[in-house]
Amino acid sequence: MHEGERAVKRVEGKIALIFGAGSIGEGWGNGKAAAVAYAREGAKVACIDIDPVAAEATAAVIRAEGGEALAAGADVTDSAQIAGVVQQVLGAWGRIDILHNNVGINLPGGAAEASEESWRRVIDVNLTSVFLTCKAVLPVMEAQGAGAIVNISSLAAIRWTGYPYASYYASKAAVNQFTQALAVEYAARGVRANVIMPGLMDTPHVQKAIAGYHGDATEMAAKRAAMVPMKRQGDGWDVAWAAVFLASDQARFITGVCLPVDGGHSITLAGG
Amino acid sequence: MTGTIIITGGASGIGQATAELARDKGLGVAVIDLPGPALERARAAGFDTHAGDITDETAMNAIIDRIAAGGAISGLVNSAGTGADLAMLDTPPGRFSQILNVNVLGSFIVSAACVRHMRQGGGSIVNISSVSGIRGNEGRVAYGASKGAVIAMSKVMAVELAGFGIRVNVVAPGPVETPLVAAVHTPEVRKAWAEAVPMRRYGATAEIAAPILFLLDEAQSSYVTGQVLSVDGGFVAAGIMSGTSKAGNRNA
Repeated sequence: MHEGERAVKRVEGKIALIFGAGSIGEGWGNGKAAAVAYAREGAKVACIDIDPVAAEATAAVIRAEGGEALAAGADVTDSAQIAGVVQQVLGAWGRIDILHNNVGINLPGGAAEASEESWRRVIDVNLTSVFLTCKAVLPVMEAQGAGAIVNISSLAAIRWTGYPYASYYASKAAVNQFTQALAVEYAARGVRANVIMPGLMDTPHVQKAIAGYHGDATEMAAKRAAMVPMKRQGDGWDVAWAAVFLASDQARFITGVCLPVDGGHSITLAGG
Repeated sequence: MTGTIIITGGASGIGQATAELARDKGLGVAVIDLPGPALERARAAGFDTHAGDITDETAMNAIIDRIAAGGAISGLVNSAGTGADLAMLDTPPGRFSQILNVNVLGSFIVSAACVRHMRQGGGSIVNISSVSGIRGNEGRVAYGASKGAVIAMSKVMAVELAGFGIRVNVVAPGPVETPLVAAVHTPEVRKAWAEAVPMRRYGATAEIAAPILFLLDEAQSSYVTGQVLSVDGGFVAAGIMSGTSKAGNRNA
């Protein structure tokens, strides 16, 4: 089936704009894998990251595979920089079919422990960024009468995942409902918007972010895998292929969905 | 994905669209449906067809064993189903029971028969629920209960079967142009649904088939299990349906 699917590329000719397309370390982060997956399925991809070197590294992978990509550095909490990126993409390719928001951080601390500063920072980077990129791109998509938005949230949006980070839970839950409301508002205007909620991931970002909660990396990976019904963590490609699906015409009647990509983890956890 | 995909209710509606899309992608397909003109048309169209009632365990075990003898089973789509638009107090217990039997027990029987074969090599099961299994839609006391049960059943299956490399997910369609819907939805109901769905239209069967194929495909969804994917034009995201049933008060 994989080969048959490939024969007809799923997002052929579409223009994809990925915020958070760089990887913070060796390997395949969610954003980097998604950018490359969109390109493999026929899209031209704008790779945006706070770190222009990381953005360029992802674009270079796409070009090396024969795809078309541009790279730029931008801070997603800065609407002026986002506007600049949108203009750059429109200038290069004339439209934006796919907006993919992958930027996210987590800072530790339950409600009593987290600093006000860290709370505001996480809400800004994880939530306000999504608002700002959608705000900038929605008029473009509405004018086209078509577009698909994929926002990356987290299982933490709907479950306690074992780590005390109050701002992360709140910001990701807000991304879900922001996206669902946006989906309903724009459904009749040809714009779809969906969320992917990754579960326990083995990505460079996660390895760095939660290293402090566990002993060594091997022990951490084994403990996390054991919690999942599938007995393994997910990776950037699991999220990437789900994103390609939701952004493609395969999902043309799907909007306002929050899809866990979690090996079944969410159905065994309390809550929700 | 190289093995056979079994599709119950594969001779009409969502099942038929799924069978056609799977075959277009080069997959082996076996169609199970009640005997009748629809199944005859599927046979004439070249599908491997098997006539039977999914609530008949003996018949289903025999059919699944026969299919498995021809090659590994890698996928199952439980699309066979039945429904009614009846107010709670107008729903005879016998009708309630029949709807649960087909939609829940039938899906269980076919799943169990397939899992006995699939657990050797893994696979993917997609059960078809409905937005009426998620939201409280008027007139769907039995149908909604059955589709809610399909969701809970699928979650348990996903957890129990993950160790065998078998994924189990649910597609929950909104209103779709199918023979079942044509029989149940009056023009008034159709108008109300179209107004309640954010995309302002019914789905096409092909629009449900594509997400089903996504969930069947190990290359696309290998880390997705136990999930409910609404394919509904935004209906579940928007909220509850009201005023659409001939059984209840009208608000739409």
